[in-house]
Parts: sequence; C-alpha cells; structure tokens
Amino acid sequence: MSDIVVTRGLMKRYPGTLAVAGLDLNVAEGEIFGLVGPNGAGKTTTLRILATLLRATSGDAEIAGIDVRRDPDDARRVLGFMPDVFGVYDDMKVWEYLDFFARCYGIPAARRRRMIGDLLDLVDLGDKRDAYVQGLSRGMQQRLCLAHTLVHDPQVLLLDEPASGLDPRARVELRELLRELRALGKTIVISSHILPELEELCTAVAIVDHGQVLAHGRVSDIERRLRFGAVLRVRILTGQDHEEARAHFAADPRVASATILDDGQIELGFRGDDEAAAQLLASAIGAGIRVTSFARAASDLEELFLQVTSGQARTEQVA
Amino acid sequence: MSDNVPMRDAPAELPEVEERSVDPTLPGAVRTHVVNEKPLQPRRPRRNPIRAIRSGTSQIVAVALKELRGRVRGRRAFVVLTFYLLFLGGFAWAWQLVAERAYVQNAALQGGSAAFASSLVGQEVFGALVLVETLLVVFLAPAFTSGAISLEREKQTLDMLAATPISSLAIVIGKLVSALAYVFLLIAASIPLTAIVFVFGGVGPDDVVRAYAVLVVSAIGLGSLGLFISALMQRTQGATVVTFFMVLFLTLGTMFGVLFWNTMSGVNSNSGFLTGSSGVGPIKGRAPEAFLWFNPFAAQYDVICGASDGYGGWCSRLNTVTNGAITVGSTRSGLIVPTIEPAVGVDDGSGVGGKFGGPVRVLPDQPVTVGRGGFAADPQPFGLRRDTFWPRSLQAWGVLSLVLILASIQLVSPTRRWRLLRRPARRFA
Repeated sequence: MSDIVVTRGLMKRYPGTLAVAGLDLNVAEGEIFGLVGPNGAGKTTTLRILATLLRATSGDAEIAGIDVRRDPDDARRVLGFMPDVFGVYDDMKVWEYLDFFARCYGIPAARRRRMIGDLLDLVDLGDKRDAYVQGLSRGMQQRLCLAHTLVHDPQVLLLDEPASGLDPRARVELRELLRELRALGKTIVISSHILPELEELCTAVAIVDHGQVLAHGRVSDIERRLRFGAVLRVRILTGQDHEEARAHFAADPRVASATILDDGQIELGFRGDDEAAAQLLASAIGAGIRVTSFARAASDLEELFLQVTSGQARTEQVA
Repeated sequence: MSDNVPMRDAPAELPEVEERSVDPTLPGAVRTHVVNEKPLQPRRPRRNPIRAIRSGTSQIVAVALKELRGRVRGRRAFVVLTFYLLFLGGFAWAWQLVAERAYVQNAALQGGSAAFASSLVGQEVFGALVLVETLLVVFLAPAFTSGAISLEREKQTLDMLAATPISSLAIVIGKLVSALAYVFLLIAASIPLTAIVFVFGGVGPDDVVRAYAVLVVSAIGLGSLGLFISALMQRTQGATVVTFFMVLFLTLGTMFGVLFWNTMSGVNSNSGFLTGSSGVGPIKGRAPEAFLWFNPFAAQYDVICGASDGYGGWCSRLNTVTNGAITVGSTRSGLIVPTIEPAVGVDDGSGVGGKFGGPVRVLPDQPVTVGRGGFAADPQPFGLRRDTFWPRSLQAWGVLSLVLILASIQLVSPTRRWRLLRRPARRFA
C-alpha cells in the first residue's frame, strides 16, 4: 500500500512564530488519518498547506504524487478541502451550491445534474435540494460542505475539525458518513482536538504539538507502545497484606513506583511490554499474592495525548 | 523531536476497504479502479489556449451566475429598477418644467424662436438625466463590488473557493461582471427615458452615445476600484468605507483640488483664461487636466457641455459652483445664439470651435478675439476642445481598471500573493 499524502520536513514560519516545525507525515491510501493536537499545534496550517492555500516556508508536501507547491492546480483536482470555519453563501439553494462548486471544477452539465442528486443522497440531504443553504441546521450545513468537497470525486479529503460545533447526533451521522466515504475508497485526513471521536474513527493518527509529530501510527500501536510506560492497576483479595504485596511489586526492577490507592488497589508505574507484565503477574502469584485483577489503567487517546504532549514539554526543557 | 516517537507502522489490515493497486510510474491520479462508478477527472489540459479560454470562460460564468442568482433573486431587483425609473422620470419631468419656464421667458425677451428654446430645454433635460445616472453609477458600481471579495473572506467561503482549481482571474472577473451586470441593467433601462430629449431637440444621438460611453467606462473603473479595495481589505465594513472615501476623493476632492490650484495661480474666474499676473504663491499655470481624469462627473460635464456647444445652463453652473476655477464654455449670462460661422478665438492654448464652428487656429496667451456671433470662442470644459477631455478620461479609466483588476487577482490568489515583492522562501538549515 502506497502513501498518498506525504510531507517531508514541512515548515511554516509566520512572523514571530513557527507554526509547523519540520513535520513528517505518511498517510497510506484508504486510511482515515487523524491529526491530533491541542489548539495552535499546527494542524490547520498543515492542512492548509496540503490544500494549496498556504505556501510552506520549506519542506515538501505531496498528494497522490503531486507536489502541492509546484502543481497546485493539479493537486486541487485530487483533493477536497473542508476548512475548520466555513460559511455558506446567502440566497443560494442547496443544489445551486453544489452546482457552483461543480462548475468550478469544470464538470460538464450533464454529469453535474446526476452527481448532485447522488451526493445529496449520500449526505442525506436529498429532500433539501431546493432549500436555502442559510436555512439549514449546522449539522446539515456541515454535511453539505462535506458534499461540496466530493463534487470532483477526489482521492483525498482534507477535513479540518469537521465535527466542531456539532451535537452528538450530528457527530454520529458525520462519523457514519466518513466511514461510508472510506468504503468508497477515499483517503481522509481529519484534524481534531476532540480525541474520543478520532479514536473510534481513525485507522491511524499523528499526535502533533508545537508543529511537530510526537507520535505517529495506528492508535493501537501508539497505545501499545506507550501503555507500559504507563500504569498498571492490581487488585488483590481483601484481607491480604496490601503493604506486603506492594513491597513485592516494588522490588521488581521494572516497577518504577508502587502505591496503594484509597480503594485498596495497587498502582504500579511500570516500564515494560506485555511479556514483562505477564512475568510480573506470574511472580506475584508465585509469591502467594492472591491477585483478583491485573490490568492496565484505562488509557484512551486523551490520556495518551496528555502523556505524549507532556513528554514533549520535558524534552524541550532538557534541550 | 522527543525520543518516544515511534516509527509509523503501515497498517496491516483495513477491514472495510479492499486494497487498491496503484501504478507507481504515473504521478498523480493513478487509481486503476475506483469503487464508485465515476471516471477519474481528466488532468488539467496544458498549453492548449483554446481549451484554456473555454475553461476560463466557464469558470467566470460559474462565479457570475452564482453572484447574479443571489442578486436578482426575488422581487428586490425589479422593485429597485422600478423605483429607479420612476425617480429618473420624475426628475426629468421636473427639470423640463424648470427649463421650459426659464428658456421660454428668455426666448421671448430676446425674440428668439420657440424651436431654439425647445432645443435648450432638451439640452437641460439631457444634462439632468445624464448627471443623475452618473451619480447612480458613481455610488452603485463601487457599492456592489466593495464587498465582493471581503465578504467571501468574512463568510469564510474564499478558502473553499481557493481550494478548487478555479483561477483567481475567474473569481475576480466573474465578480466584476455580475456586479456590473446589474448596474448595466439600470443604465440600459434608462436609455428609453433619456431618448425623451430627442423630442425637444438640441441633443444629437452622438451626444447620447458619448454620455453612455462615459457611464459604462466609469462603471467598470469604479467597479474595479471597489473590487480592488475589497480584495485588499479583510473586512467589508472597512472596504466599503475606504471605497466611498476614494469615490469622494475622485469626485469632490479632485474638483476642490483644481479649484484651489486655479485660484492660487490666478485663473480668471470669469473667462476661465489664465491672466498670468494675478497668481499668488508658488503655484503657476492652470491645474493639470489629469487631476480630473478620474472624475466621472468631469467627463460627463464635457459631454453635456459639448452637446450645447459649451454654452448650456449646465456649463455655467459648474463654473458658478467652482467660482470660475473650472470653466465650462462661456460664462456670459443670457441666451447665446450659436453661430454657424467659424468663431475666432484665442485662449491659453486650449482649443476652440465646436459643433457649429470650424476648427480655428489658436495662439497661446493672446487677447481674446470676439467672433462673429458676438461672444468669445467656445472653450470646452476645462478650456479644451470638444471630444478631447472625455476620451482621455476614459482611456485613463481603462488603464486604471486593468491595473486594479490585475492587482485584485494577485490579492485573491492564496499562494501567489505579490510574488514580485516576496523574498524567496528560505530553506531551513
């Protein structure tokens, strides 16, 4: 599988700030790729460079093998871009809105008519064809805006915070729509700081902060990689000597810290992989500690994200 | 980078999507099969001027159509048109009554003919109509364009537009065409009304054509100005304010500039001729004509006074308003009967002669010789020969429009902004 979106050392300098500082991304074809980061991390700048709306200070960006800096017009034909904040034209009907953008891509009239019907069905706005755009709800406008990125059947969709400002139902609908688009063969790059959303949706993520990629890969990979740098929670049978058990765990060289929590669980700061964790559990049982539960602390993307971004802060201090 | 960055693993499995084969030898659109049935977009045609023009035209049509749909939707456009024509008609009628009263009286006093008085009424009505239409163009053309680009920025729609292959040229021209289309509609709708002057006489069809040429070119020029400021500014409110200050400067500002200059340099307020010795201060000579090139009223005044051979009521009105600084024709009071004979006159180097007079040799700074008609030869507006000022004004507007449109295109383009002024991108070492 080839990478359809590639950036190499992408950098964008604004007066006074470095918005993107040497960003390397690889997005494989057919992925839903999440660009995660706090506000000001450089997500929007990166997407706008990819969408040919900004010129990178240095570095390369390619979409489907097209250099976005050298051939912006060609790149625009293979990508669809949905900005984070978007408006709609007043005095315009839904079908006219799509017709306008289809004309911008030079799609012939005969195909436009059929395509608009198909797209409106896809985004579930088929019955709103003759409604005025400004009269649609926020969620409908968002779906219409997504539909406009599809008029030219692009290979890559760049969606900047597409779920912002949507209620939970609209978010679910959007997520379903994105899955449908992926099934149609689109590669989707989506940025968000709403992490649980991406966790369910994305096949791969890049965690970005201060214009750099901090972690890059499938969600499960990143989790696996980071999880055992994190926290294990052990529950032992009540009536046992918790302090003795804690001491046993603390004696293991891979356990950085061991504390007894208020609810009786023992929390271990653990460095090691699954194999090491299994060994630790076996040794505990061998020592007669009656373990009822031995689990990683629930780690979702949000926690991961906090871990990674705080790690970045540490390395910066060292440097 | 922090050291806990893992290398990206290629996802081993993607459950919902089959693997698609990609031909690595072709850069760009290389899907060998797609899941849905639509064929791939053809690549942008290169170096084919005919196709480029065709696609450019269709893009301009796309933008203009989108704009016009919003503008003429509903009854608003037609209500505006109706009231505009009613107002214009009422104004022409009122002015005709005023002129009739004045000239019929004068004609009787001077023993002139009713037919001649009628022609003067025609010239009065023509001037009134054309000046009101100029006023309309001066305000509407920039008003329609001063929000064209900044509104897209404000509504966050310009980015979506810029991410399509539509060219900045198509955006700018499409916006200009759609904004001006409505102005042109208003102008065209007034033509039958203006034709009423032919009932009275005194105005030739060529005068009407001149007047409409000035209207159309002024509309394009002022529309381009509004568009440029709209592309320059981030906010529509600011763009509108700046545009109208520019319009005020071009109309009133230039006029007062000329007034100041000519007063300081001692242009005779009665004859409009330079008397030479009466100037004060360092300013010498007549104000440069170029001051007024971008004043649509000045060009229109030239046409109006040309229609009446430089002696109509409108001509002396401008002279009165500017205290003689801008002299249009003779400022003698009362009725002047045009002469068929060639008039002989000398002024400060400007032309003489008019519709009824033949070309006359002029000598600079000589005393004025009174012609056979009993009046000084007819200097046209600003002391120029007929048909010399307004064509220059239109040419100047043409050049300025072109410059403004090109500048707007640069400003609209997301990545090519002021390429000439940009330093080359620095490589990060």
